[in-house]
Amino acid sequence: MRPSPSYAVFTVTFAAVFSVVYVFAVEYNWALFSYAPATGAFAPLTTPTAAGPTMYWYGWIATAAIAAAVVAAVASFLPESLAKRVWPGLSWAVPVAVLIAFGYLLRGYFLR
Amino acid sequence: MWITLLVAHGLAAFMLLGAVTHQAIGVWLPARTKSATFLNRLRAVPPASYVNAIVVLFLTTAILGGIIYTNYRIGARLTLERGRFWKTFGAFELKEHIVTIGLAILPAYWYFWRAPLREEYARTRAMLTTVLGFVVWWGFLVGHLANNVRGLGT
Repeated sequence: MRPSPSYAVFTVTFAAVFSVVYVFAVEYNWALFSYAPATGAFAPLTTPTAAGPTMYWYGWIATAAIAAAVVAAVASFLPESLAKRVWPGLSWAVPVAVLIAFGYLLRGYFLR
Repeated sequence: MWITLLVAHGLAAFMLLGAVTHQAIGVWLPARTKSATFLNRLRAVPPASYVNAIVVLFLTTAILGGIIYTNYRIGARLTLERGRFWKTFGAFELKEHIVTIGLAILPAYWYFWRAPLREEYARTRAMLTTVLGFVVWWGFLVGHLANNVRGLGT
């Protein structure tokens, strides 16, 4: 069976949007929830934990995944004429750009 | 329990490393002749045959890593900070983000490697495999490095 172009648009959009939203989520702490590894407690948004460190990583992933899924779902309904114009290379080019951005953001650890 | 999870995580990562490296070699350096040398057989692997294994292993490794990460956060991470192992610390911080980006491209990777393989997506497949290969190699080497600083079970 020949795959539908809308799946291609969905996966390409998901990869690109997830990557971009994730880097902003990390930089501006847009965590959907936070987690306290010392107590095993979850809390909404960026609530600080009562004891020990607070983890936001899972919350950043949730934020990026939900945003990317919504945008990609909408994009997958693009008319075929527009869908064909979506460059599949965005699925790797945007993530690579985001990886470079993370290298830049965390460069301080390597320059000490 | 943490050591069991860490060993399982390491084993899954090791299998994933082999699979994605084989696929990348098959994509970028396909065999041109039918010579039976080791290198030629390595290059002759059909890259598409690794896709499902890579997806399952990536998810397994990431989930196990995500569970272990809670223990790292309250244990090994403090050792890295107190010991001022900033390069290792930073490399591990990068690993957390790099692996997440790997998760982001996984649906596209799976989709573009589905049969029938369309020629117009050949470059996209090659690049997705390359990015995923980088993600896996970074994760494996940095995870190993960070583990060596603290030591297994200490």
